[in-house]
Amino acid sequence: MNSDPAWDAVIVGGGFFGISVALLLKERGMNVVVLEREKALMTRASYNNQARVHGGYHYPRSLMTAIRSSINFPRFVQEYARCVLSDFEKYYAVGKIGSKVSAKQFVTFMQRIGAPLDKPPEHVAKLFNPQLVEAVFTAREYAFDAKILADISSERLADAKIPVWFETEADTVCRTSSGTIALNLHSKKGGGGTLDTRWVFNCTYSQINRININSGLPIVPLRHELTEMTLVEPPPALHGMAVTVMCGPFFSLMPFPPRNLHTLSHVRYTPHCTWPDTTAESYVPPLDRFESMDKKTSFDYMVRDSMRLLPCLSECHYKDSLWEVKTILPLSDVDDGRPILFRPSQELPGLVHLMGGKIDNIYDIPQELETLLHGA
Amino acid sequence: MALDPNLVISVVAPVHNLAGSLESFLEDATRALESHYAFFEIILVDDGSTDATPSVAATLLNRFERVRYLRLSRHFGTEVAISAGLDSAIGDFTVILSPETDPCERIPELITQARRSGGILCGIAPGLKKRNPFTQHAASLFLSYCHQKLGIELKPDSTDFRILSRQVVNAITQIKDRRRYLRLFTVTVGYDIQYFEYLPICRTGKTQRASFMDEVNQAIDIVVTSSPHPLRLVSRIGMIASILNALYIGYIALVYFLKPHVAEGWTTSSMEISVMFFFLFLILAVLCEYVGRLLEEVQDRPLYFIAQEKNSSVLLEHQVKKNIVHVSTEPV
Repeated sequence: MNSDPAWDAVIVGGGFFGISVALLLKERGMNVVVLEREKALMTRASYNNQARVHGGYHYPRSLMTAIRSSINFPRFVQEYARCVLSDFEKYYAVGKIGSKVSAKQFVTFMQRIGAPLDKPPEHVAKLFNPQLVEAVFTAREYAFDAKILADISSERLADAKIPVWFETEADTVCRTSSGTIALNLHSKKGGGGTLDTRWVFNCTYSQINRININSGLPIVPLRHELTEMTLVEPPPALHGMAVTVMCGPFFSLMPFPPRNLHTLSHVRYTPHCTWPDTTAESYVPPLDRFESMDKKTSFDYMVRDSMRLLPCLSECHYKDSLWEVKTILPLSDVDDGRPILFRPSQELPGLVHLMGGKIDNIYDIPQELETLLHGA
Repeated sequence: MALDPNLVISVVAPVHNLAGSLESFLEDATRALESHYAFFEIILVDDGSTDATPSVAATLLNRFERVRYLRLSRHFGTEVAISAGLDSAIGDFTVILSPETDPCERIPELITQARRSGGILCGIAPGLKKRNPFTQHAASLFLSYCHQKLGIELKPDSTDFRILSRQVVNAITQIKDRRRYLRLFTVTVGYDIQYFEYLPICRTGKTQRASFMDEVNQAIDIVVTSSPHPLRLVSRIGMIASILNALYIGYIALVYFLKPHVAEGWTTSSMEISVMFFFLFLILAVLCEYVGRLLEEVQDRPLYFIAQEKNSSVLLEHQVKKNIVHVSTEPV
């Protein structure tokens, strides 16, 4: 190479995955910078989610995802102990009508991946409607406090002396004559500029194709959903409890520590609408689209279906909704798995698209990075 | 009129080979519901259609919001399809209707009526099914038998069009009877029942003809699921027959001891045999019905299997297209 670029790597997107990649690269002695669209780190999809640290229970139809979850679970709990909330009761129930797994299959599967399931206390089992719920289990699973996780991540970035440029969006990438990448960016406060870098890690989740389209690169096939999780005050009988009903059009009630409320989400009613990234002509960046979308709560639907299975939910109070764009790889439609996307661009070497489905999948990244950088 | 913000309405529509009329049904139903309710769902239960219904439904899900499509794994019959729909309906009030014949625009008015009574509203469509005079007569005889002997009041010409409150739906979904004659259950679970008459429409353009054998089967189902009355009746007949039989044995003994020449008697013995066999088979027939029912209960298999569940996925692109105007005129 003729000259050294100003940066070894630019990480686009200050979510949990972007920050983690920045830290991993810095550990290798690379000179990195993080670009973040919002005014703070981890305010979008890393915050607006179920805050579940997956123990593998959630994916009884995708063995790979379940096994990875159960392996990553203790690592995440140990590494981010400060933000992990464990002092609540976790119950998994299996639906009787419309469930894609039976209670027996669920038990067998969890035994296979080593995720413990126990008999629930009598008073809890009694809360469920036996007509619609086949079995209830106590599980080992935790929630994380997204606010504290953001604090931990910010501190780590500061300790590693990694600069973060807020309210800055990367617009295009292109190859320079010296073999590096030129990244054009603009700041919401005004102004713009170009960075010269060897690597660009595109960790923008729903916005991944924005850079591709602006730069004339092919689209990564992605599908987006407008999702709503309602924030509720659960009835007294469910205080300090998390309830998840598997595995079909059912609900999930999880503590949401930053707001001291619970999230009530529903497989059928949480996604409001869906759209794929198709052609460059019709492309609208999902977050721009998000702003203009009609957001009318589905709480009434969610609670009506949920209270058929868990009658005491009829007394839960709606407080607020968390709206977000959720992005999924089209292939996970079939088996419900949440693989991570780690895709070095074929057309522009040095550009890597990276998207994680769940927060604890982060431990799959280091090895991929190792292979990528070592091979380079 | 303001939309009702506190009520969720479910519409359960069993669908079997209705590719042609699905669209007009969804149009009518959506129009009737969205003008009155902020929250509703239309559940299409596909009872194993073999025509283009699944693909037509998939396209319509992209156009109509708040529609759910449940596909059963094979054809189970209307009663089971309705049960599947009721099992998954979330509404405070559930409307069951046949997309072919029942007018959707009556729904809001009927729901208002059901809210007042709090129970069940059953539809009656005079002349929906064309019957010949003999079947018609047999049907009214049967209904009066049900009323007098089984204590069930069935209305002639009652249809599947009905409005159920959540309480009633909960009660019905607890009945695990295999042969679900739902029209009957809605009557037998108790609660307040009211009837309304309506004029059926005809979306498919075909008149519904009642098949005599189907109606006989339905009648047997109704009697057997709801009452042991026939069993008791034939057991009494059996008892009388055995008493007669015992008397006859005495008579034979007397004849044997008192009469010097016992030679013929072909008439009496064959009479006896034929009479006894008549009762025997009658009793067996009824027992078979009940044993069959017991067998089904003991097996405890799921009533139906759902092959597929799909929800409305109205894409943004579709909505955007609706907002495109093709003609632009100067402001006046």
